[in-house]
Amino acid sequence: MILNKKSIVSLIFIWSSLDATDEFLDSDFEDILDMKSEIKVDVGSRNGNRNFLDSNVPVDVITYQQIDSSGLTSLSNLLRYFVPSFNAPETSVADGSDHVRAFSLRGMSPDQVLVLINGKRVHTSALLHVNGVIGRGSSHVDLDTIALKSIEKIEILRDGAAAQYGSDAISGVINIILKGFGHKNSIAIHGGKRKAGDGELLHTDLFLTKQLKYEGFVNLTLAVNEQKKTNRAGLDTRLDIPAQTTYVGLPHQKQILAVLNIEAPQSNNINLYADATFSHRDSKASAFFRPSNHNENTNLVYPNGFLPLINAKILDYSTTLGIQGRLSNSIEWDFSNKMGYNCFKYYVDNSMNYSLGLESPTSFNNGGLSFMQNSTNLDLKRSWDKFNLSSGIEYRYENYKISAGDLESYTGTGSQGFAGYNPQNEVDSNRNSYAIYIDSTYKFNDSLNVEGAGRYEKYSDFGSTTNAKLALSYKAIEELLLRSSASTGFRAPSLAQSNYSQTSSFVDTDTGLLSTHGTFKLDHEVAQTLGAKELKPEKSIHLTAGTVYQLSKKTFAMVDYFYTKVNDRIMLSNELSGVTPTQEAILESYGVSKARFFTNGIDTLTQGIDIKLKHEHIFEDESNLALTFWYSYNKNEVINYNESTISKESSLAQIDRIENGQPKESMKILTNYQKNNTTYTLNLNRFGSYRQVIAEEAYSFDAEWVADLDISYKIKENLIIAIGGHNIFNMTPNKWDGLSGIYYGYDGIKQYSRYSPFGYSGAYYYITASYDF
Amino acid sequence: MQRLIFIFFISFLILLPLNAYETEDKIKALLLGKISKYIKWKTSDTDNFKITIINNSQDKLFYEMYNDKNINDKIFTINYIDNISQIKDTDILYISADNSHDLENILQEIKGKNILSVSDIRGFAEKGGIVQIYFLSQKPKLKINLDEAKRESFKISSSLLRIVEVIHGDMK
Repeated sequence: MILNKKSIVSLIFIWSSLDATDEFLDSDFEDILDMKSEIKVDVGSRNGNRNFLDSNVPVDVITYQQIDSSGLTSLSNLLRYFVPSFNAPETSVADGSDHVRAFSLRGMSPDQVLVLINGKRVHTSALLHVNGVIGRGSSHVDLDTIALKSIEKIEILRDGAAAQYGSDAISGVINIILKGFGHKNSIAIHGGKRKAGDGELLHTDLFLTKQLKYEGFVNLTLAVNEQKKTNRAGLDTRLDIPAQTTYVGLPHQKQILAVLNIEAPQSNNINLYADATFSHRDSKASAFFRPSNHNENTNLVYPNGFLPLINAKILDYSTTLGIQGRLSNSIEWDFSNKMGYNCFKYYVDNSMNYSLGLESPTSFNNGGLSFMQNSTNLDLKRSWDKFNLSSGIEYRYENYKISAGDLESYTGTGSQGFAGYNPQNEVDSNRNSYAIYIDSTYKFNDSLNVEGAGRYEKYSDFGSTTNAKLALSYKAIEELLLRSSASTGFRAPSLAQSNYSQTSSFVDTDTGLLSTHGTFKLDHEVAQTLGAKELKPEKSIHLTAGTVYQLSKKTFAMVDYFYTKVNDRIMLSNELSGVTPTQEAILESYGVSKARFFTNGIDTLTQGIDIKLKHEHIFEDESNLALTFWYSYNKNEVINYNESTISKESSLAQIDRIENGQPKESMKILTNYQKNNTTYTLNLNRFGSYRQVIAEEAYSFDAEWVADLDISYKIKENLIIAIGGHNIFNMTPNKWDGLSGIYYGYDGIKQYSRYSPFGYSGAYYYITASYDF
Repeated sequence: MQRLIFIFFISFLILLPLNAYETEDKIKALLLGKISKYIKWKTSDTDNFKITIINNSQDKLFYEMYNDKNINDKIFTINYIDNISQIKDTDILYISADNSHDLENILQEIKGKNILSVSDIRGFAEKGGIVQIYFLSQKPKLKINLDEAKRESFKISSSLLRIVEVIHGDMK
């Protein structure tokens, strides 16, 4: 090889110094109007937007141009293909988890990511993942309730920021900035299907904008889509003639989304603003097939067996109203209220309740979950020569409800596939919190910038917490920024974790009696006798240290190390039975055989590194090339067990999921080349290896490369046609290595791990047409 | 795979040197200096060109870029003032966002003095200013209030008007 690594680095330094000459003043006027300015970000500091490359903390940006050329139609897929430390597996046959996509940053829990829209906290889904999926035990924001066409840019803060934004900002913050002034009306239609012939997707977007005075706007985005199911199930060997009986793949979903974003500046220096999101998703997935001999009553209704279909109807909406202005003493103020609501209703079709025999209905209303959050904020901000100060107060109210289903859905054994919530599960719980926070930056000189932030927060359920952050950046030379931050953080136990219960009954084969098991609310006598305690907040410590090297204004390299220690991480306990006579007596009095509940079970340590290189170039023929290389490594370890009932051995599936269930390594090579009227986008994604434990045995799955391609052609100034594909080489994860079984196994119904970071539905090809008007 | 990464790094090398992403402040400053080529003042000093910047003392970029520089055969002078009562003879008044609360008063004060008002305040051109700079999708844009410019006796080149957004009148 002619060039070794050392010589490459040397060349880069020499070349970058050649580029330092500033010919800025000789530019033509039209050239200046054609210049691209810096990318600014809001997230990471409350002291106004700044160039993301000069930020004290690592921030990444995805622009709407990147979104448009991705060929992707959902936010969770978009982040999965752009951000290496973002993981969003496609789960199936896991009850509610099939319908709300869990996601994580840096392999941590989904509820340890704070999501903002226009800088305001987004409510979480009402769903609590309780099955053995990535994100088990968490409720998180349902990212796929936000229409992609409404987004101007996505800012991803790769640092803890609870001292600035409050609870949940532990593994990072995703700030979604909605499109503002100056966009065109547009309509887009996207259609595609999997190579296997299923999974048809039809997606339509409409973006309408109306300009108001003073660069104000009303923007409305509407999206409608239907994603048909994919099925990658293996053969069901319980049948005389083995056949595909269960749906293992993407659920069948129909969704309507709407996003409204309004700014109405007034002549008196006041700006009125509002935004709203709406989503309704009707999603169908299956449980495992019940063959005719599944129960003695099965063939009363289904002589050939049946496949219970779990149908989720998920309503999600939010509204924000705000007013902001600037006083004569240059103090900027902002008063806002944001309300968010998510309601998840379960219905089960093509099923039966064995206890009801022939009288059993085949369709059930199984009850539902809802979560409401309402935050009111007053923010103040003032800038002086070198000093910026912002502060604010926040009041938040939250409500969580579980509603029981129809009697037939929960009585006796309950409906097969998913037993309904019963009246004992019903809950209507609320809490409030208030916070006061301050964030300041001081620029000592052109090189050194220091930021300090603090936040005091008091919750009505668990008490108060105070957190602080210190961050600094130092420009050693004009091109080289060194940065570091240290902070403490927390995550409040969610109302769902404190109040969730779902119990179901089965016929004990030994006694022939109905026995109850499931998840119990913390204050339930069964949970109490087994050791349940009131949940404490998760507490975290964060450290980052990194550097940004700007080889030129269009080429940079970022390297950032991160360290996050989380104490008292909340998780589900193991399924526990009574051990002492008292416990046995209490469990027996409720007819309970096994119970689980939420607990501050473990302490975790997450460490890793992100390396990002980006380069953009405009050639003489005005064609444009953008290249991004991004490598991410994270290692999650459980470093302490806080409960005697939880240990690596006794909770292997849970602990191994936390430590090894998600890829430690991932890599992206993103390429975008634009020439004349054609844009080529090629993204290469490497998803690292991962493991899943089944029956106390850990099974490993290989790392894989997946490629996405999009070619778009501008037929007219306002009409673009694009063709492309995701996972174009039809990669699938390897099947279970050595595991044979009816449900899980290389020869079973589920041949692939549900942890697969790129799913297992295979290649998807599409065509998109978009028209501006 | 290693070969792929190597090709990626080589691409970095081949493609340098590069075009620049500039800061918004620098682009604003540059537009401010260039715009004088396209605008005629009623009476103008043939040798000197004066830019006054109000209430933006922390931003020395204009000064560093232009002060005492000879551009288009004119010596540029940059003055900073804290409030509009301090304004003296000037060709351009740059009004930063910090002045948004006092904008009406500032525009009233320079009315009829053949001073080109330029600002990045939101809605500036519609509020009676002449040249507004703003950014859309990372690109700079200009909005010119042509009626206000004519009222202040400016002649604006048609080549400039072709590439900027033109609005008419005080649209308050």
